[in-house]
Amino acid sequence: MKLKFLKALLALPLVLVAGSAWAQEEVGGGTLYGDLSYVTQDMLSRAAGDGNNFLHTNGNYQQTRYYPSRQINTDNVGKLRPAWIFQTEIVDTMETTPIVVNGVMYVTTAFNHVYALDARTGAQIWHHKHDMGPITTYCCGPNNRGVAVTGDKVFMGTLDAKLVALDAKTGKQVWETEIADPELGYSETMAPTVVNDMVLIGTNGGEYGIRGFVKAFDTETGELKWTFHTTAEDSTGVWATHDATGRDMLRDIEAEKAALAEQGDPYETLGGGVWQNPAVDLETNRVYFVVGNPSPDLDGALRPGDNLYTDSLVAVDLNTGEYVCHFQYIAHDVWDLDAVSPPIITTVKDADGNDVKGVLHGGKTGHVYVHKADDCSLIRFSEAMVPQENMWTLPTADGARMLPGANGGVEWSPMAIDPTQRLSYAINLHQPMTYTVSSTPYPEGKLWLGGSFDVIPDEEQWGNVTAVDYDTGKIRWKVRTAEPMIGGVLATAGGLVFTGEGNGLFKAYDSTSGAELWRFQAGAGVNAPPSSYTVDGTQYIVVAAGGNAQLNYKRGNNIIAFALAD
Amino acid sequence: MKRYALALAALIAAGPASAQDDFNLEDAVAVCSGCHGEDGLPVDEEYPILWGQQFFYIYTQLKDYAAGRRENEIMSPIASEFSRDQMKAVAQYFADKPWPAIDAHAEEGDSQIAERGITGGQCSACHGKWQGDSRIPRLAGQQPGYLRKAMLDFKNDVRKNAPDKSSTMKQLSEETIDALARYLAAF
Repeated sequence: MKLKFLKALLALPLVLVAGSAWAQEEVGGGTLYGDLSYVTQDMLSRAAGDGNNFLHTNGNYQQTRYYPSRQINTDNVGKLRPAWIFQTEIVDTMETTPIVVNGVMYVTTAFNHVYALDARTGAQIWHHKHDMGPITTYCCGPNNRGVAVTGDKVFMGTLDAKLVALDAKTGKQVWETEIADPELGYSETMAPTVVNDMVLIGTNGGEYGIRGFVKAFDTETGELKWTFHTTAEDSTGVWATHDATGRDMLRDIEAEKAALAEQGDPYETLGGGVWQNPAVDLETNRVYFVVGNPSPDLDGALRPGDNLYTDSLVAVDLNTGEYVCHFQYIAHDVWDLDAVSPPIITTVKDADGNDVKGVLHGGKTGHVYVHKADDCSLIRFSEAMVPQENMWTLPTADGARMLPGANGGVEWSPMAIDPTQRLSYAINLHQPMTYTVSSTPYPEGKLWLGGSFDVIPDEEQWGNVTAVDYDTGKIRWKVRTAEPMIGGVLATAGGLVFTGEGNGLFKAYDSTSGAELWRFQAGAGVNAPPSSYTVDGTQYIVVAAGGNAQLNYKRGNNIIAFALAD
Repeated sequence: MKRYALALAALIAAGPASAQDDFNLEDAVAVCSGCHGEDGLPVDEEYPILWGQQFFYIYTQLKDYAAGRRENEIMSPIASEFSRDQMKAVAQYFADKPWPAIDAHAEEGDSQIAERGITGGQCSACHGKWQGDSRIPRLAGQQPGYLRKAMLDFKNDVRKNAPDKSSTMKQLSEETIDALARYLAAF
């Protein structure tokens, strides 16, 4: 008996070691397209139909966040259970989308840690901590929204405004390049997008008086290939008096023209951050992205004109970064109701009922905007998904109440669509605020809001999940949530919509009706976009539960993968 | 001519005439410690803890004192004596020290009032979990008297080197600021 026990004890470490080696081999065995972690352009281009991997932050180049597998579906989602939970070193705000390549998952945390995990077991393969510089300037929380992958590399933007390339097998840094100067307010929280040997990335900093951009870097060397500045050198525009929905924005055009003559064009400190991934159209060689608010957020006196291309959908040439077209939602925005949620390319009905290539964007205003892809023009906008009141009341020195509050509507949270039902799914905030203006000069890299937006403490806050028919602009269904929503949505061919809440609930809805079919309490805010993947014939849904700094939702450090119970 | 240019370059490199030519880090921090504490615990409840504070925050504040963007009758003349490199050395010295524990307690009801203020002002969007990062100062465990004074100085336009803080603090009542100061000090 004693001997048997001793033998068993001696065998134990061996079993553990062997187990881990076996796990690695199995991941290799699960490879579909090549060796363990190699990602080809063809894989990236075909991601929309790839029922095994999750290769892009928003699922595919069109950014539909529509996952084509239906193993988990409306009939069986009630049996969804945690398959594994991985806990990261950093317990703080999480916005990462897990990327899955042939059974290997890449996730990031606040302060730029990256993990590679076995996607079947959650076992850690490697852990990379970015060597953060002493100067960082960022809003709104030390977030990171994930990596991009191609070839044998993994790419991440950092809070100190660098782009790093890591070896996908080891996590070791291959190269690093500075995107912009963090002391001036530049930082990176978005996941990059990789296409045709280029890494595309925008910048944060619209709260710090930066000059925004999208830049393209060489995947092999980190060399800068092109820059598109999101604030035009002539940013005055057409002196638009009404927004995209036809409402008067109460601009004092004469005063602005006088200010322009006196101050000159404000483009150098005009903001225009790009917070989220561009959609890529490989047929036309274009990228579509949305540009954030002008700086300072609430004080228009220092930035006369339409402030092009802030608060706009913009298309540029993929190879050169040259301007193709734009559409501005709010000219001379003084409410920070800007454009953040990533655009989606899909077929839509035009005004005559014909199918055309379209671009969707979920706005902080609470509308889903539907554009023609060829010239960026607006076809329609949806019914408002959240209450709108007193639009557009100008900010005052004492604070003016207007809805939506400055977080939206739809914040940075990516929407998903189901192209078979022609529905978009957005998560929204209802957070009543006052808008206060207080004019101060450019503070050289410090926070520069030009006032403040303040939550009205006595008013109720809530959120919702809203399905919009993008061919008509009508709301199909809407489900209210207890708290304002921030994170993201995943739709699947199984007829499901997944999204999480600040109170820790992670839910599945019927994508046709909005009926809640399943829920899980994650113990910390689920404020990150979910993704899905399949390994060895098992489909998983995975999401980060780390809470949110911006809305002060309970922080955590869990990556949770779910699969159907036997 | 060349010699003249070299001398000029040396002069420029030496920084402004007001910088301490005989700067000695030990002497400089000894002056600081007179108020901010030999052991990291300040001698007055309205003076901030510097030990363990963020490097870039301390450096920025010294720059702002020197440039007149932040005003204080003690700090302004001291900071204006330093060159930027000397400011960096002082900031690094204090940033490298361990944060000292203080005896601070929240009162009953503080956390509810403070949380409401935090949500209303969206404080955590920049201040996160109150530990500080780079240009964002650590607030957790800071002296409650200093925290209260800083928030009131922003509210009353006394402190102007982070102008947007004034707008936010004006939205908060003095009762909320008192609760927030105790809440953060005890965090």
